[in-house]
Amino acid sequence: MKYKTFKLLDQLHSSAEQHIHLAITEWQQLPTVRLTTQPAQGSWSAIECVDHLVSYGRYYLPAMEKAIANAAGTALSPGFNSSFLGNYFYKLMLPQTNGFPKKKMRSPKNHLPTQITDPEIVINEFISQLEKLQVLIRAAYKINISKAKVPISIAKFIKLSLGDTLLFYVAHISRHMLQAQRALQTEFYRH
Amino acid sequence: MPQYQALRQFISTVSPLPEEALDNFTEIWKPFSAKRKTTLTRAGEVEKYLYFVTDGIQRVFYFDDHQREATIVFTYPHSFCGVADSFLLQSRSRFFSETLTPSTFLRTSFHELNELMKRSHETEHAIRMMTNYAFSGLLERMAEIQCFSAEEKFRSLLARSPHLLNMIPHKYIANYLGIDASNFSKLLSSIRI
Repeated sequence: MKYKTFKLLDQLHSSAEQHIHLAITEWQQLPTVRLTTQPAQGSWSAIECVDHLVSYGRYYLPAMEKAIANAAGTALSPGFNSSFLGNYFYKLMLPQTNGFPKKKMRSPKNHLPTQITDPEIVINEFISQLEKLQVLIRAAYKINISKAKVPISIAKFIKLSLGDTLLFYVAHISRHMLQAQRALQTEFYRH
Repeated sequence: MPQYQALRQFISTVSPLPEEALDNFTEIWKPFSAKRKTTLTRAGEVEKYLYFVTDGIQRVFYFDDHQREATIVFTYPHSFCGVADSFLLQSRSRFFSETLTPSTFLRTSFHELNELMKRSHETEHAIRMMTNYAFSGLLERMAEIQCFSAEEKFRSLLARSPHLLNMIPHKYIANYLGIDASNFSKLLSSIRI
């Protein structure tokens, strides 16, 4: 898959903007009970979706920051080619147009939601991570996003370009934010 | 040019300017925009610009080597923004300023404003009145910081700026009030009831 680098980074930045806007204007205003209610037995509550995203942010944001720092001195290239593997992960994460994931997946154990005592703290960290993501995307305009490499969380010896990492990372956020919105809807109609 | 119209109206409510002085004042401002979480001024730099906020929310904050952070002030339309003391004294800033949401401004440089103030007594007067109001607000906040409980500070902030609550991350409001995120969450739910 071929992308125009500028357009790609612009799109990623505006997706992150939509995510952060939703988290600020809606989610952080909600009472604890709405965030923590599971829509069905064993289905993640909204805050569990957020907690899952936060656990990935803790790995990927520092990893991407390091990749950007290591690529200092490279320059933006007008085109970006997604790798076979990068495109595979991206498509796997990308929600369908109806908002549902194409394929249900099991979360790795270390990224399963934890016992959440204070949703406000989880949302705060999530918002901080999205702010950081936007700062990193803006820094990515100054380097070559094909040459900056990020080790993936499930197998550190596999490295994806920063462009591919950003693509699936942002798609992964969309996937679980949509899931969280569905969890909130279900809870809303039941009461 | 609604941005410039807003600036003219704003300065006129602070201190009415004759038409010509108002035109001269308007001319020195240029549009500027910044995305979310853009640092406008760093500690150690001299504040180069005075900003007039036409969209978005910003903050001026203290941040030191011990990772201590204090949000001094929030700014939003229509008001001035930037590190005021560093701008007026052209001294190194002890504070940072940054956008908290995507923002648009008009901004002018110290040099241009200073030259205009040298030529125009009315403009200098208007800027002095602005400084007076800022000073007055600062003294009020000093008293609040020393006397008010977190809840009283929160209520006072909400009375002044109710829109902040659903437009910026709560961590910044908690920091402004001097409490941690967990206590802020308790405060918020106690006020909801």
